[in-house]
Amino acid sequence: MANLKVTSVTKQFGETPVLKGITLDIADGEFVSLVGPSGCGKSTLLRIIAGLEAPTGGTVAIGDMDVTGMQAADRNLSMVFQSYALYPHLSVAENIAVPLRMREVTGLQRLPVIGGLMPGARGQKQSIATSVARAADRLEIGGLLNRKPGQLSGGQRQRVALGRALVRDPAAFLLDEPLSNLDAKLRVQTRAEIAELHRALNATFIYVTHDQVEAMTMSDRIAVMMGGEILQCAAPEIIYEDPDDIRVAEFIGSPKINILPLERYGSDLSLFGRSLDWHVTQDSPQVMQLGLRPEALHLTQSAPRLRGRVAHFENLGSEVFAQIALEDDAMRVTLRATPAERQMLGLGAEVGLAFDTRSAMAFDADGKRLRKIEAMAGVTSEVA
Amino acid sequence: MTRGWWKHMVLILGAIIVLAPFYMMLSYSLKSPGEIDRGVGGFFGRQEMMVDPRCVALRQPDRADIDAARARFPGQDDAGIQAALQAETETACSMRPVVFNYTKAFTEAPLMRYLLNGVIVTVSIFLIQIVVALPAAYALAKLRFWGREAVFGLVLFCLLIPVHAIALPLYIMLAKLGLTNTYAALVVPWTISVFGIFLMRQFFMTVPDDLIDAARMDGMSELAIVWRVMLPTAIPALLAFAIFSIVAHWNDYFWPRIVVTGNRDLFTPPLGLREFKGDGDGSFFGPMMATATIIVTPLIVAFLIAQRRFIEGITLSGMK
Repeated sequence: MANLKVTSVTKQFGETPVLKGITLDIADGEFVSLVGPSGCGKSTLLRIIAGLEAPTGGTVAIGDMDVTGMQAADRNLSMVFQSYALYPHLSVAENIAVPLRMREVTGLQRLPVIGGLMPGARGQKQSIATSVARAADRLEIGGLLNRKPGQLSGGQRQRVALGRALVRDPAAFLLDEPLSNLDAKLRVQTRAEIAELHRALNATFIYVTHDQVEAMTMSDRIAVMMGGEILQCAAPEIIYEDPDDIRVAEFIGSPKINILPLERYGSDLSLFGRSLDWHVTQDSPQVMQLGLRPEALHLTQSAPRLRGRVAHFENLGSEVFAQIALEDDAMRVTLRATPAERQMLGLGAEVGLAFDTRSAMAFDADGKRLRKIEAMAGVTSEVA
Repeated sequence: MTRGWWKHMVLILGAIIVLAPFYMMLSYSLKSPGEIDRGVGGFFGRQEMMVDPRCVALRQPDRADIDAARARFPGQDDAGIQAALQAETETACSMRPVVFNYTKAFTEAPLMRYLLNGVIVTVSIFLIQIVVALPAAYALAKLRFWGREAVFGLVLFCLLIPVHAIALPLYIMLAKLGLTNTYAALVVPWTISVFGIFLMRQFFMTVPDDLIDAARMDGMSELAIVWRVMLPTAIPALLAFAIFSIVAHWNDYFWPRIVVTGNRDLFTPPLGLREFKGDGDGSFFGPMMATATIIVTPLIVAFLIAQRRFIEGITLSGMK
């Protein structure tokens, strides 16, 4: 168990920069997810932390010790791979025992026949077997110990890979998209199990995923990565409700956040040419973007801020998502409605939308969050 | 008749062409010299008792034998005793052709010694080839280093060099080192198999990188990864390579003929066949074919055993 510190790590593959100065502090026992679209550098960052890849610049420290130049094996980290990477020729028990055998048994003792005759070999064998059995029990794979990986289902292989990570009692667990090869149902179940395992072990977890649901449900903190940078690293609810960047707002949340153009005329803000009764100072940027989560929108009959036509809707039973075409199909927004409102959402129906000002987010043209403007607008709208 | 009958005809024809020499070899190894010369007797020959002329010639009774045998043939003159002894010898020297051929194969030349040499040479070559090829293939497939593509290009280039083209320089080098007529001369030139490196490299390319990273995380050194992870997963590819390597060097006549010039103790099985090459007094086709049969049998048996492992293999399915 240890804290982990990544300081201004950069990585270049040839001319291409993959990581552009990543700094990340992970506390002891924390569960941090690295999330982002494919190619954002999250796996590379994990491999640098693991020691499988050398950074071009910057340092990695585990438990306050600089390990940047240290080999993967000496860092005492465990990694679970997307493909599980089990040794196909070894049984489940042997697979789980490998990290212990490599660490605790000398080369001489590992020799086939002579090894058994070396002093202390028997006791070591016993203690390894005990550790393997304990890890297997914890993951409920005790009955599979004599099988080969080829005879296991995807979920079982995944558990064996977890067992191999668990058995060595590592400083931190690194998980590289461990659930992406499982079917949807098993994924939900295993997700909960990994979160529970984290609580039970109270160990440091770094979890790479492109699935925002996994990140949201399991983590203490989420680091959203894009283009080789961490855009924001915070608790899941903050990432969702209070994103720093439009890219974070767009990546997290399903269906996607609605982004609408916002313009300033004098001190007045307007949306599609209609004034919003929001007043800002004259030095605010001319063009801005307004972010609205689907649940921030609601149907209204009186004085709607937006008008449109229902273009498509999806009924999920507990909720309905409707796509509303605004301003003659120039733009579409997604609305999250309750099943009770469904009859108002027939295809082609004209609807009026209002939104909760406090949950609206303003971004500048480059996508940076404009909290100052929101504060100004929020105050004025409350007064109005 | 189905429409694909002509395909079967072509295949059957091909099979006959391939199998005919083996049929002849096996058949000759069973027949008597007379039957071979006259081309009669079908596959098995008639297996009539035959007299080994060489055996009789060697045991021709001399004066002392006749004197010693006088007691057994009372009242006979010397010529009579000689004739009786001659008859006894002929009975003792007569046997079935199949027995004659196969005993000759083992007695005429030290065939067991040749077989043992064959085993020593092919197994040494194969083991050293693996020791060289596996780490090389691993490096070429999975490690990133400067000039890797150039080295792989050299490997491909070496595949194009025919053995016979470099036989003479190799021989001269070995001769200068004083290594002709040694096991080393038979083994050393073959220990680096570019074909093996190429084959294993192509196989290693298909092994997921995650498996190697997992092994590194588990604390294995690069060499440990080669022997503990790559070798076990590569068994099917290694078996394919083993067949190429072992068949080629077990059957090789050319190279042993060049570097083993005098010392018969170093003869490999194919060189042993030469022992039955008739010089003036005709060839011993029966024993020669018996020897050939004995030589190819281990290969056929080994292939049949390996064939099952080929199909089973250790699949990489445990990784996905």
